[in-house]
Amino acid sequence: MTSAEQVSRLLALVPYLQRHPDADVDTTAATFGVTGKQLLADLNVLWYCGLPGGMPGDLIEIDFEAIDAAGRIRLSNADYLARPMRFTPDEALSLVVALRAVAELVGDDEGEAVASALAKLEAATGAPALPKVAVAGGEAEVRDVLSAAINADEMVEFDYTDAGLQPSHPVVSPARLLVRDGIGYLQAWSQERADWRTYRLDRIVGIARTGQRRSQLGEPPVFDPGWFERSESALPVTLVLEPAWRWMAEYIPVQSVTEHAGAIELQLLVADPAWLRALILRLGAGLREIRPAEVADSARAAAAEALAAYRAG
Amino acid sequence: MTQHKSERIMNLAICLLMSRRYLEKTRIREIVEGYHDLSDAAFERTFERDKDELRTLGVPVETGSNDAFFPDEVGYRIRREDFELPAIDFTAAETAALGLAATVWESATQAGQTTSALAKLRAAGVDPDPSRLAALAPTIAAREPAFDAVWSAYVEQVPISFGYRGETRQVEPWAMTSRRGSWYLLGYDRGRQEPRMFKLARVDAAVSRIGKPGSYHVSETVDMEAAWARLEPAPAEDVAVVALRVGRAHDLRRRANPHPAVVPAGFEAFAVGYSYLGDVVAEVCAHGPDVVVLEPAALRQAVIAQLTAVAEGVTR
Repeated sequence: MTSAEQVSRLLALVPYLQRHPDADVDTTAATFGVTGKQLLADLNVLWYCGLPGGMPGDLIEIDFEAIDAAGRIRLSNADYLARPMRFTPDEALSLVVALRAVAELVGDDEGEAVASALAKLEAATGAPALPKVAVAGGEAEVRDVLSAAINADEMVEFDYTDAGLQPSHPVVSPARLLVRDGIGYLQAWSQERADWRTYRLDRIVGIARTGQRRSQLGEPPVFDPGWFERSESALPVTLVLEPAWRWMAEYIPVQSVTEHAGAIELQLLVADPAWLRALILRLGAGLREIRPAEVADSARAAAAEALAAYRAG
Repeated sequence: MTQHKSERIMNLAICLLMSRRYLEKTRIREIVEGYHDLSDAAFERTFERDKDELRTLGVPVETGSNDAFFPDEVGYRIRREDFELPAIDFTAAETAALGLAATVWESATQAGQTTSALAKLRAAGVDPDPSRLAALAPTIAAREPAFDAVWSAYVEQVPISFGYRGETRQVEPWAMTSRRGSWYLLGYDRGRQEPRMFKLARVDAAVSRIGKPGSYHVSETVDMEAAWARLEPAPAEDVAVVALRVGRAHDLRRRANPHPAVVPAGFEAFAVGYSYLGDVVAEVCAHGPDVVVLEPAALRQAVIAQLTAVAEGVTR
């Protein structure tokens, strides 16, 4: 803990404690992101601070007995520090980015509040709201329906296309909207499967509230988008790509990337055969080689079936 | 040691904040606790360091003279209106969004910055209710090795130099954006003498500072929105007519319009816009036999060629 960090915190702590009389030690520590012990060390510093002159009546007063007895903080005689300091540029920009991330997950209804909060911050602090955040979060309308359904404890139904392009029509109890690595997801309880399911928001269409009451839910499990790579049925696959497809390594979950003989070799773990089939079809002649070779069989069959349709028409 | 230093700097800040006039160093030495017992040289050193530390924290310590006839007699003060966070009147919905914003950053440094920003808002009487948006969990990660160095240079407006695809670039950071989980830097490239966009994942981790904080100005004439827009797919300029198998390809269907073309049973015709032939070929092929291109002929041929390449297989 440097004294710079401490002074910066103290300049906010003094107005905070005057605005929150009898503030709880633990709550205050959490608000400032420090331990209770650090907060007490902060208060010990403040005990020696005050107006110039150093006479007893000039110093900030803190009731240490109330802290010992009840865990409550009473601070007084510091009217001159009634307001916190302005945001630093780092605080302002970090907050702007965070608010923009919130804006990407709320629907149109809450979106207006985020936009106006940003505008007020910009006006009051002079922080330029330049940084942008873009999340693949689907349609605002979908998020609005989901938020409304969660607030009303209702189930929803929608058309869904999974990563392997397989369609389904889930009827689920929505619990949480979240973002991981720039992609928005819905976590929902599926009565039919008696399990938690995760859906990408940008693959949801035709959503509607069913009017049925939502299942009684506990907390959804901690979301981990890497789970499928570690599932026991995941198959190690090697793709050898033309150099022009190098960028693909940044868009699919690869385990390693190597380059030799003018080609890009990607190692990945594949849990969903339909996803791999779509990827092979997408790559076309950009895919030089795939190992094991038989994992391409279903893509070859799908391509042949599609070609038959062209010949027929 | 830290405790005494923090006390001294706090007392200095309060003293400068309470003074309407510029306070001379000699006067500061007399009235601020912690300076009395120092030798002349030690006082000079300590005071200069403390003053710089306050400025680094963002405290606006002003230098000036009270006397127009003796402008060399320099003093210091902190103007309250420059120091204090102005009053901001947030609605309950805005406050809830701010509270949620405090939980967004996954990287510890920026999470700490939003925590202290929120603590300041709470100190100013803005108290977010965390339960209001409890069902939302937005996050921002910053896993690029160069992120911290580039972000702090951006925040402090420090010109930097870094390796990018095997070349050394000298850049004045203007703005940053996170798009679908990847960070980008927009800045003035000194070598190429024009604005450039950099993907942080491709910036070498060893970023060096090549100037002082605030030593350049962010362009006011460059259209940042237009620069960011280049990261998004180009607007659709061409239209394809496709047959989609009923109940399939919802992702294409979402941005398509029904089309009167006659198609086999079990299919429906749609018109869908696209900007790059290569992108739409890949997208159509990914659906295999569920999507058939009817028009234009060039797209139809390209799809047939790609499907043929897959069907015949490059590996067998």
